[in-house]
Amino acid sequence: MNTLMQKVRNIGISAHIDSGKTTLTERFLYLTKKIHRIHEVRGKDGVGATMDSMELEKERGITIASAATYCQWQNHEINIIDTPGHVDFTIEVERALRVLDGAILVLCSVGGVQSQSITVDQQMKRYQVPCIAFINKCDRSGADPFRVINELKEKLNHNAIAIQIPIGLEADLEGIIDLISMKAIYFDGEFGDIIRTEEIPDSLLEQALLKREELVDAASIFSDELTEAVIEETEIPDNLLIKAIRQGTIQRELTPVVMGSAYKNKGIQLVLDAANNFLPSPDEVDNEALDLDNNEESFHLTGKKEDPLVALAFKLEEGQFGQLTYIRVYQGELNKGDTCVNVRTGKKVKIGRIVRMHSDQMEDVEKIEAGYIGALFGVDCVSGDTFATSGLNISMTSMHIPEPVISLSIKAKDNASETSIAKALNRFTKEDPTFQTFVSNETGETIISGMGELHLEVYIERMRREYKAEIITGEPSVAYRETITCHTTFDYTHKKQTGGAGQYGRIAGFMEPVTDDFVFENKVTGGSIPTQYISSCEKGFVSCLAKGPWLEYPVTGVKIVINDGASHSVDSSEMAFQAAARGAFLQAYFKAQPVLHEPIMKVVIETPAEFQGNVMGSLNQRRGMIIGSNEVGQITAIEAQVPLSEMFGYSTTIRSMTQGKAQFSMEFFTYKQVPKSVLETIEKKNEKKTKTGT
Amino acid sequence: MLKKQLILRDPLSFLGYETDETEKKGNFGAVTSRAGVGKTAFLVQIAISRLLKDKNVLHISIQDPVDKISLWYKEMFLNLTQKHDAKQSKQLWESLLTKRFIMTFETESFDFSKLITRVDELRNQGIFVPQLIILDGLSLDVTMQSELNRLKEYAVQNNFTIWFSVRTHRHQSDDPVTMLQQLGGQSNFLFNMIIQLLPHKDKIQVKRLPLTGEHNERPPLLIDPSTMMIKETTK
Repeated sequence: MNTLMQKVRNIGISAHIDSGKTTLTERFLYLTKKIHRIHEVRGKDGVGATMDSMELEKERGITIASAATYCQWQNHEINIIDTPGHVDFTIEVERALRVLDGAILVLCSVGGVQSQSITVDQQMKRYQVPCIAFINKCDRSGADPFRVINELKEKLNHNAIAIQIPIGLEADLEGIIDLISMKAIYFDGEFGDIIRTEEIPDSLLEQALLKREELVDAASIFSDELTEAVIEETEIPDNLLIKAIRQGTIQRELTPVVMGSAYKNKGIQLVLDAANNFLPSPDEVDNEALDLDNNEESFHLTGKKEDPLVALAFKLEEGQFGQLTYIRVYQGELNKGDTCVNVRTGKKVKIGRIVRMHSDQMEDVEKIEAGYIGALFGVDCVSGDTFATSGLNISMTSMHIPEPVISLSIKAKDNASETSIAKALNRFTKEDPTFQTFVSNETGETIISGMGELHLEVYIERMRREYKAEIITGEPSVAYRETITCHTTFDYTHKKQTGGAGQYGRIAGFMEPVTDDFVFENKVTGGSIPTQYISSCEKGFVSCLAKGPWLEYPVTGVKIVINDGASHSVDSSEMAFQAAARGAFLQAYFKAQPVLHEPIMKVVIETPAEFQGNVMGSLNQRRGMIIGSNEVGQITAIEAQVPLSEMFGYSTTIRSMTQGKAQFSMEFFTYKQVPKSVLETIEKKNEKKTKTGT
Repeated sequence: MLKKQLILRDPLSFLGYETDETEKKGNFGAVTSRAGVGKTAFLVQIAISRLLKDKNVLHISIQDPVDKISLWYKEMFLNLTQKHDAKQSKQLWESLLTKRFIMTFETESFDFSKLITRVDELRNQGIFVPQLIILDGLSLDVTMQSELNRLKEYAVQNNFTIWFSVRTHRHQSDDPVTMLQQLGGQSNFLFNMIIQLLPHKDKIQVKRLPLTGEHNERPPLLIDPSTMMIKETTK
């Protein structure tokens, strides 16, 4: 292991789906001799790219779980996290960015800055991750890297500056001109691994000089030395220019742009060079933790290997040898055989096997030092746990985890599948905090919830494939609530004489609407209901709440006050008063004019301004109440309140409506009364359900 | 019942404006004051009084986010209904929300043609048909003459009125009427209603400014700065 921290890079590769991230990573691994053969994402050999380790990823040609790997390039150790491009898996991107020191933003030279690039860029801003941009697919028809650079400036507000220009474009892409060394670079050999450096062709010299001037001008802001050299018109050494660009990049005030074609193996070595030259090493990044002993005050991590250990488990995977925990060490070092503490649980953890991951292959190592990423075997923890030296009560900043937006009920077809599903759900929920599961108290069904339909679809598919579970998925369901709207009285006597001991109990009082879920008040005086039966009365009322007498949805917002009653010295019992309470509830409930409430979600949609009319229209159709719109630059954020029942399938609708350029977030807002027309439909559905018994 | 009681507290009728003035299509109104006196709060009161009359209000704010504007409405409504039944007030509030639409823009990205495009989109798709537009936070100046005239025409065509907030500065010696006069051009006075807010001891005075040839005998109103609600008329 190379212990020189300056030579370590923890980088992520983020971008819009299908920009070629996985292909780029595959080239990195090949060029750094981590793999000996290139397999394309959708290659004819059917093997799939090395980083797409899950069967499903290979089949769909998308990256789902981010695989971590490391490689060496020009004496630098590079840890790479390949991140998914699809919007439903952004938690993976967010987690990766949390532990990374720098990122390569991959953009398509034809598609430019797409919606997912905007999301990823926002995430990078949130975690202050410096980045370089790689404009891929310069061999494609319609490629225009300079238009993409303009989009980087206009849409993402990046101070983007080209450090290269292409030699030819589209089918004529031959190589790259490096504006720092002012040389033309060609990539020969089957996989572009033989670099040929030549003088810049005359036809491109003028453009190259112009672009270099722009580059020097942009970089000079970050170096007085460079500014002096420019003013004095002396020759600018390469390392001076590199140093200035590096300074600007680390401060997140400059985004150097490289270009090429991963698929055609052009320019990849220069991307690795740029990562080494411009992205920060772990000791150039300030990392903070939370001091749990000191009211969660910010705690600066030194990044020194001599200091006590602080490490973050940022990803879990279930492998053939048990749980694999991806970990980033921020301070100290983690040695095989060491004992540390899981700060969340307070439990001691013995470190067994330590590995460095290379997609789904691994390499055993003895330790992970501060600044490095590795993986542990046999450690019981959840994603986001902090490991620290015993006595150090430090937690890494909690990661921003979006709330799940969609739920679905699932059922096993047979007993064997039931066990498999339980196993799978246990694993998935540990691995992915945005995927949640619970058993509904109301329906008894297992409900899974996540970040979008595709998110849930992928997990269902994984349960089917990896766990061989036969699953029946239900329609997405909404948790309706019944409640009452007016004050009403009750006076009910439960009397039964059917041989043996009789049953007798009389309860009188009133029910009225209340903001709490349920309130019970005893105002009985003079012992008309003996004290020992009061709790039975409450029990009786509570038992009516789980399943409302009207539409069988839970009842909330009810206050019950009992103020009179009667008992019999022989026939009264706990059972009798419970039954009397149930009778009293039924007697009063329908007089109290029950209504049905439905969950209303606060929905925020960010869309390019040109689609805002359509998006608002779609919200209107879904009974949404638009609160307002906020137009910032090219993007409009529309805020609305929409019933949850109307939001199923919306992610698909909005994607097709806006060419995938809009994104939405949704969170619970409140419960509101269901309008009459909708109520009729629900009543009909319920009737049908009762008749068919399903 | 509550609605009727609240309608009686319309700040514009206190100032002597008649319904045909306040609701006439294409009419422009302006609330002028120095910064921080309470233009937004007063405009929100005008908006609430229209909402109570079942009119659709589009509130456009330059700079302030949607949440902040929503909060203004909530605060002003709570102040207005604090002596009334809470349950009834809540129901009324929820019914008003369906008639209100907030749109916010950044100063640099706002222009009148964009506003017209957005209103067209809302109208054409049947999403929202405004009957009153509140335009808050825009710095009006003489360079906007033709655009303001175009907007007035558009307001006439589409049957709505617009209320602007107009910020005045200490150094400006011109009275607001003269200043607003210049916005329409030589012979075209765009504004039909002008209200001035002035700090007055521990209260804020609300004055209806008479337009040329108009006589306004009404005394100014006073508003309480803590609630921004109309307190009493000065004797």
